[in-house]
Amino acid sequence: MDVAAHPIEQHEAHDHIHPAPEGFIAKYVFSIDHKVIAIQYFVTGLLFMLIAGSFAELMRIQLWNPKGTFMEYHTFNQMFTMHGTVMVWLVLIPLVTGSLGNLVMPLQIGARDVAFPWLNMLSFWLIPVSGLILFSTFFVGAPSSGWTEYPPISLEQGPGGPLWCLAIIVVGISSTLTGLNFMVTIFKMRAPGMTWTRMPLFTWATFATALINMFATVALSAALLALFFAQVYNVPFFDPARGGSVILYQHMFWFYSHPAVYIFILPAFGVISEVLPTFARKTIFGYKMIAFSSLAIAILGFAVWAHHMFPGGIAPWLQIPFMIITYLIGIPTGIKIFSWMATIWGGRIQFTTPMLYAMAFIGTFSFGGITGVYLACVPVDLHEHGSYFVVAHFHYVVAGGAVTAFFAGFYYWFPKATGRLLSEKMGKVGFWLFMAGLTGTFLPMHWLGLEGMPRRYASYETFAKAFPDAVFWNRFESVSSFLMVAAIALVAVNIIYSIRSGRRAGNNPWGARTLEWMISSPAPYYNFKKIPIVLDRPYDFTQPLPYRNLDEVTDPYPVPSEAVLPRNAAGMGV
Amino acid sequence: MSQVAPSAPQIVTPKGLGPGFIPVTIVMTVINIAVMFAVLYLPLNFLLPSESNAASDSAVSIDGLFKFMTVFGVAITVYVSGYTAYFAFVFRRRPGESIYTVGVPIHDAPKLEFWWTLLPTILLVVLMGLTISVWKQIQFPDTAAALTTEVVGHQFNWEFRYPGLNGSLYSPTSEMHLPYGKPVKILVSSADVIHQFWVPEFRLKVSAVPGMVTQLNLTPTRAGRFDISCSEYCGANHSIMQGSLVVESPDAFNKWLAAAKVQVANASGTISLAGGDPGVGKTTFSQKCAACHNAGGTFDQKIVGPGLLHVTDDPAHPKLVDDKPPTPEDIAEILVKGYTGPIGAMPNRQANGLSDSDIANLVAYLVSLK
Amino acid sequence: MAVRSVARTTPYLEKVAVEARYNDVDPVYAETRDIRLFGFVLFLLADCVLFGAFVFAYLYLRTAAPTWPPVVDGKQLPRLDVAFGAMNSIVLFGSGVTMHFALESWKHLKKLAFNFWLVATILLGIGFLAGQAHEYMSAQMTWQGSTFGASFFTLTGLHGFHVFAGVCFLTVLGIQANRGVYTGSKYFGLVAGTLYWHFVDVIWVLLFFLFYLW
Repeated sequence: MDVAAHPIEQHEAHDHIHPAPEGFIAKYVFSIDHKVIAIQYFVTGLLFMLIAGSFAELMRIQLWNPKGTFMEYHTFNQMFTMHGTVMVWLVLIPLVTGSLGNLVMPLQIGARDVAFPWLNMLSFWLIPVSGLILFSTFFVGAPSSGWTEYPPISLEQGPGGPLWCLAIIVVGISSTLTGLNFMVTIFKMRAPGMTWTRMPLFTWATFATALINMFATVALSAALLALFFAQVYNVPFFDPARGGSVILYQHMFWFYSHPAVYIFILPAFGVISEVLPTFARKTIFGYKMIAFSSLAIAILGFAVWAHHMFPGGIAPWLQIPFMIITYLIGIPTGIKIFSWMATIWGGRIQFTTPMLYAMAFIGTFSFGGITGVYLACVPVDLHEHGSYFVVAHFHYVVAGGAVTAFFAGFYYWFPKATGRLLSEKMGKVGFWLFMAGLTGTFLPMHWLGLEGMPRRYASYETFAKAFPDAVFWNRFESVSSFLMVAAIALVAVNIIYSIRSGRRAGNNPWGARTLEWMISSPAPYYNFKKIPIVLDRPYDFTQPLPYRNLDEVTDPYPVPSEAVLPRNAAGMGV
Repeated sequence: MSQVAPSAPQIVTPKGLGPGFIPVTIVMTVINIAVMFAVLYLPLNFLLPSESNAASDSAVSIDGLFKFMTVFGVAITVYVSGYTAYFAFVFRRRPGESIYTVGVPIHDAPKLEFWWTLLPTILLVVLMGLTISVWKQIQFPDTAAALTTEVVGHQFNWEFRYPGLNGSLYSPTSEMHLPYGKPVKILVSSADVIHQFWVPEFRLKVSAVPGMVTQLNLTPTRAGRFDISCSEYCGANHSIMQGSLVVESPDAFNKWLAAAKVQVANASGTISLAGGDPGVGKTTFSQKCAACHNAGGTFDQKIVGPGLLHVTDDPAHPKLVDDKPPTPEDIAEILVKGYTGPIGAMPNRQANGLSDSDIANLVAYLVSLK
Repeated sequence: MAVRSVARTTPYLEKVAVEARYNDVDPVYAETRDIRLFGFVLFLLADCVLFGAFVFAYLYLRTAAPTWPPVVDGKQLPRLDVAFGAMNSIVLFGSGVTMHFALESWKHLKKLAFNFWLVATILLGIGFLAGQAHEYMSAQMTWQGSTFGASFFTLTGLHGFHVFAGVCFLTVLGIQANRGVYTGSKYFGLVAGTLYWHFVDVIWVLLFFLFYLW
C-alpha cells in the first residue's frame, strides 16, 4: 500500500512514544506490549493444544476395539469433555484472536498498541488462571457431561461441575475484554488515511470477530452462572419438577456457542485473505464483498443457534426459520470462497508453507461447510444429529478450517514476530502430515455417522455388529490421528530450530503489501517511529514496494491531500 | 532480496481463462454427472443403513433429500477443489521467475460475482422448499396415527408402554414392537436426564426430555429387527444403552401385544414365596445381585448396596418397608419394586430381570443367611 | 502502571482534536477521553447482554408456567409488594438525579456541591440496597423453591451486586476527586461513574416492570 512517511505536523504532539519497558518481568512476563502478549497466547495455546490433543489420542486408543477396555467409560466421558472444553476455550479462541489478532491487527492499522494495553495483559493472564481452575477438576473429579454440559446430567457431577463453570466464566471474561479492546482499537486508532475500505481484510475479520466476542460471550457467562447456581445452590432454573426447563439451558448456551464457532473461523478467513494475495502476487478479488460478508456472517451467526437443538425440545415450527437462516449463511461464505479462487486465478503462485495451508483451506473448509448444510436441513439432521457425522463436520471446519488457517497465519507472521524464518522443508513435511492425518481421521467419520454410530460412545459394540466395517474405520482413524500429532510436534521442532539457527528475516521476507511488513522484524516495541499516513488500498502488487522500511525514510514529503503519490519518492529503490 | 526491482512490476496476463481450462471443466462436469447417476440409481447401503431396502416412509423421503444434497454437494466440492488445484498448477510461479512478476490485478468482476451469488441462492431456495415439504410430512403427517406408543428413557434402559398394557416393558430384555404398514406416533419422554431415541434405519431421532413429551411420526414399511441407540450423552453407560425394535406384520404384532399384556398383568400380582429353593436362589444371587451386594457381609460391608448377612434379624438393617424388622414379604417387596432412598437406589424387578420364581428363590436364600 | 500512548486516526478523532483545540482543551486528553468513553459504553452494552440473557430466562420460564406466581407445596405464592417496590425505585431514581447534579457541580467547579450530591447519591444507593435486603427477608418465595424465586433473586441479586459495585466505585471516585486527581477539564472517571450509575437505574426500570408491574 502507498503510504507517506511523515504525518501532518499538527499531529506530532500526540504522536509520542512512551519509554521502553525495563526488566525481565516488565518485558516478558507482565508485558503490555501486544506483540509479547501475542507470543504468550501462542505458547499457552500450543501447550493446551498438546494437552487436549493427548486426551483425543487416549480416546482414539479406547476406540481401537468396539468394546474397549483401555479406560473406564466414566474416564472416557471425562476425556471427551475436557478435550472439547480445552480445545474450544483454551486453544482455538486464544490462538486465533489472542495470538494472531493481537500480533497483527495493531500493526496492520498503523497503531502503536491496542486501545487498552493493560486490559490486554489482563485478558491474557486470565487464560492460565482459567486453565488452572479447569485442570484442578482432575483432583476432585473432572466434569464428564461433554463441553456442552447439559443439565440435568451436568447437575450430577460433583465439584468438577461448578469448577468447570467458574473456569469458563473466567475465560469468557478474557474473551469479552479482548473483543472490547479490539473494537475500540479498530474504530479509533487506525492510521491517518486508513479509511474502513483501506483496512486489510484480516483487520476486517478481527473486527467482525470482536463484535461477536464482546456480545455473545456474556450470554455464555449468564448460562454458566445459572448452571453454577443450579449445581451448587439447587436453584431450579433447569429442574422440571419445580417449574424449570432443561431446554432453557440449551437456548442460553447455544446463543453463545454458535457465534463462538464464527469467532474461530472469521479470523481464519482473514488469514486466507492475507496469504493468498501475497503468494499469488496479485490483489485480492472482491475486497468489499469479502469485508462485508465477514460482517454478514457475524450478524447472521447470532440468529441460528437452535439448529443445535432440532431433534427435540423446541416447538416444531421454530425449526424452519432457524433452518432458513442457517442455509443463508452459506451465501456470504460461498462469496468468499469464490473470491479466493478468483484471487489465485491468473496469479504467479509461490508454494510456500503458508500458501499450501491457505490453498488446502479452500478445499477442506468448503467440504466441511457443505456437510454443515446437510446438518442444517432439518429432516436430514434428524438422522445425523448426535452421530459421528456431526463430529466429522465440526472437525473438518475447525481442524480443517480454523486450525489450517491458523497454521497458515502462523507460518506467515512468525518472521514478523521473531525476525527469523522457519524451515520451509519442515513446514512442508508438517503440512502434508497434517493433511493426511486430517483426512484419515475425519473423513471416515462421515459414513460411520450416517450408518448409525452415535457420538460420545466409549464402546460401539452394538453398532459394530450391525456395521462390521466400523472396526476397520475406527482403527484407520486412530492411526491417522497420530499423523496430526506428528505434524504439530514438527511445528514445535521447527520453532526451536528457527529460534536457534533460522535465517534472519528482513522486514518483508514475503514481499507483501500491508502495513505490518514495512517495519522491521521483529517490530520495535513502539511499532512505528512515526505513524504513517495511508494513501491507497492494500494488496497492490502493481507498484514496487515503496520503502524497505518506513523508519528509514527521512526526506520531507508534500502534504498528502495535494500530492499524487510519486513512486520511489525519496529515490529509495527496493 | 537479491533481485533489483524493475521500474515497474511485470504483469503476466493469462490467455483466456488459462490453458486447458475447458478440458478440465469438461472432465469435472463428467465426473459430477457420473456421481449424480451413481447417487440416484445405485444402492447407497455403504453410506446409509438399509438405503436400498427402506424400513420406513421417513427413510425414503429423507434419503431423497440426502441424495439431492449429495449431488450438488459433490459437484460443488469437485468444482471448488478441482479449479483450485488447476489454478495452482497452471498459474504457478516458474522456477527462476522474478518476484516482481505479478498476476493480473483484477479487483472485481461484477457480472461473475452476480451469478456466483445468485445461483447458490437459487439452489438454497430450492433446497429450502424441498426441506420444508419433507419436514411437513414428518412433523405433521396427513394420516392420523393408527397406533400411539410411549417410550421413556431411563439411565440406562428404555421403557416401552402400549395402549391397554397395564404397566410397562422395562427390563434389559424388553423389546419394542411395531406393525409395518400402519402410521405410528411415538411419544417420548425421560424419567431422569436427557436421552435421545434413534433408529438409524428410520432416519429419525427425537430427544427424550424430562418434563416434556416429544414425538415421532412414521410408518414402518417392512419387517426387521433394529437397534435403538441413545444419541444424547446421558451418563456413564450412555454407550451401552441400546434397545431392540422389532417390526412385524400387524397380525404378529397383535399376538405379541396380547402376550405382553398377559405377562405384565402376571408380574404385578403377589408372589407366592412357598417353594422357594435357597440353592437355586444362591445361584441367582451370584448372577444378579453379587455385583452390588455381599451375601456374607454385615450391613455396613457395602459393595454398592449393603451387605445382606442376617438380613431378617440384624437390628442394624434399617426398617425399609413398614418400619418393622424385615420379613420375607418385605424382602420380596423390595425385590419387586426396587428401592430409592437415602442409602441409595436399587433397580426394580423388571430392570433386574427377575421372574416370580427368581424372587421366591432369592427370598428363601436370603432368609437362610444367618 | 502503563503510560498510555495515543495514536491518531481520521477523520473522527481528528475532529475531536480540532474541537478540543477550539474549546481550549488539551487535544491529547480529548482523544484519550474519547477512546475511554467508547470502551466504557461498549462495556455497558455487554453488561446489558448479561442482564438480557437472564431476562430471556425469566420470560421463558414465566410464559411456560401454568400460573404466575406459581404454586409451591400447594400454596399459591403471593405477588410482590408493588408499593414497597415503587418506594425503593424512587430512592434509586432519586440517586440518579443526585448523581447528575454531582457531575454538573463538578463541571462548574463547585467542589462543595459536588461532595454533597455525591454523598447523597451514595447514601441513596445504600438505602436502595437496604430496601432490597428488606424485600429479600420478607419474601414468601425462596431461591430454591420455584422459578419465581430463582429468577427474582438471581436477576435482582445481579442488579444489587451492580449497585453495590457502583457504590464502591462512586466512593473511590469521591476520594480521588477530593485528592485532586480530577481537574475542571479532566474528569473522565466521574463521567464513567455517572454513566454506570444511570445504567444501573435503567436496568432497574426494566426489572421493576418485569417483576412488580407485569
